[in-house]
Amino acid sequence: MEGCDGGDIGFRHGGDNFLNFPHSGVTPSSVPEEFSGMAINPFVSSGWDPLGSLTQSYHFSNPSLASGFPFSPHPGIMENQGTGGDFPPPLSHNPSALTEQVSFSRIPCSESRSYLDAVGYFGLPDIANAGCLPKYDSHREDDHDGSEGASANNKLSQECRIEEDAEGSSPSVKRRKNAPVHDTIYDKEVKKNPSRVNSDVSKEWDEKKQKNEQIPYPNSQGKQNGKQVRDSVEAPKENYIHVRARRGQATNSHSLAERVRREKISERMRMLQELVPGCNKITGKAVMLDEIINYVQSLQQQVEFLSMKLAAVSPELSINLERILSKDIFCSQGSSATIVDTERGMACSSPYTQGFFPEAFPSIPSSNHHYPPLTQAFCESELQAHCQLGFHSSSGVDSLGLNGRLKSER
Amino acid sequence: MAPEDPVAMNPAPTPSLRTKISRRFLESLVKIRASLEQPTGGNIQRRARRIKIAAYSSMACAAGSRRAWSRALLAKLRSRAKRRHHSQHQRCLGLKRKRAGSRNMAPYKVSRANELRRLVPGGKAMDLCNLLEETSHFIQCLAAQVKVMQTIVDRCSV
Repeated sequence: MEGCDGGDIGFRHGGDNFLNFPHSGVTPSSVPEEFSGMAINPFVSSGWDPLGSLTQSYHFSNPSLASGFPFSPHPGIMENQGTGGDFPPPLSHNPSALTEQVSFSRIPCSESRSYLDAVGYFGLPDIANAGCLPKYDSHREDDHDGSEGASANNKLSQECRIEEDAEGSSPSVKRRKNAPVHDTIYDKEVKKNPSRVNSDVSKEWDEKKQKNEQIPYPNSQGKQNGKQVRDSVEAPKENYIHVRARRGQATNSHSLAERVRREKISERMRMLQELVPGCNKITGKAVMLDEIINYVQSLQQQVEFLSMKLAAVSPELSINLERILSKDIFCSQGSSATIVDTERGMACSSPYTQGFFPEAFPSIPSSNHHYPPLTQAFCESELQAHCQLGFHSSSGVDSLGLNGRLKSER
Repeated sequence: MAPEDPVAMNPAPTPSLRTKISRRFLESLVKIRASLEQPTGGNIQRRARRIKIAAYSSMACAAGSRRAWSRALLAKLRSRAKRRHHSQHQRCLGLKRKRAGSRNMAPYKVSRANELRRLVPGGKAMDLCNLLEETSHFIQCLAAQVKVMQTIVDRCSV
């Protein structure tokens, strides 16, 4: 990254297209790295090196101008920053200095909506360029290509330039101050965790951005221009950071919230997909919801049905419930695996159920049949109880159907 | 039925949940039987209803008050119990009113989300996000409850 200032100046004198500007801020040798490598590095370089070069160029070409502002120590700092690659505090100072300088210029128009985008993308030079263009036209023409300087004279041509070069022209002074600072915050945050596409950071940043964007719109043209500029900016933006490119679709707070909500819903849908059996292959949301509804309904019906069953059994087996209770608790505490199976196993080993199951119901699961009844007397009593129960239930009209269902299922 | 899915998903909380549910449910079952032992000829429907309520309340208690559905379910059960305790006449009125309301609601086209809202307790006041979350938890608990009841029924073998 060393020597980027010189290289940059060289480029700026000869360069025509400002879309390539941020890349040109890097030395020619490091350009491919920047393109292929991390998504953050280009930000750093594009945000910083051109600035350094810019200030330097101002310094050189325009001593009278530079002497009026605290720019004299900057080139040295800039070089350090360029080599270091980290974000230094001077960034926050720098724009203020720049804005001081720029505040002389009086360009009425502002590409309000996409200005931050443009700045975020191109870094500081936009500000300086746009702000200083009209006033120091002669110097600029020395510095830059002729078209740029000439286009800055009137608004119409300036718009053309915006469309072509995707460059924001001067907005209000406040924004100029804010924009680079936010950029640094954002970049730092991205730097901390570049791997994940975090919606929180981006959201936060976007809110800030929106706050900034609500600061005065001098003319109604701004929005149109902004849209145009954003369209032109979006294409190269995708090279840099994925979050931004994705967010470029809509930065409105409502649409952002909506997107977050949709993500949440889809995530929960996935969660439910895992819970509801037979839902793995279904992709449609409506069908999923149908399936979920069916599942919940079936579960509720099962609860009802089982409670019916239990009610049918209940009065006769009340004595044994305490035993089951203790056993059940023991079971579920003892085993972390599928409890039904373990309980089956326990039931098989316990004398009570061994005696109870096979005799009372011949159609009971086969695992119980292997065990001969040990306590015959107990079994007989249970059988009697069951017969009694059958008699009771058959006497009721409603419970007849229930009994039939039970029998059929068993 | 989801046999192993909740267990596979989060092995830690589900067994404890099931333990809680089964303990509460069995306790309430014992209570119900103790209370219903004397008039043993009482109809099965009422008993089944009581058991069902016990099942739901034990499920909601086991889920804790952090979940919206469990809160709503408990509140509903309590209010119903209170109403029933108050007088039989009022309950009849309430049922009639409810029926009338449902008849009025019938012509409207009910979306699937609303259908789900109707099923999940307390779902009427939720937006779709929360509804789905609550539904997932509710399904987990319901499946656990069903399993508990199934095992009890298997034990008692009817």
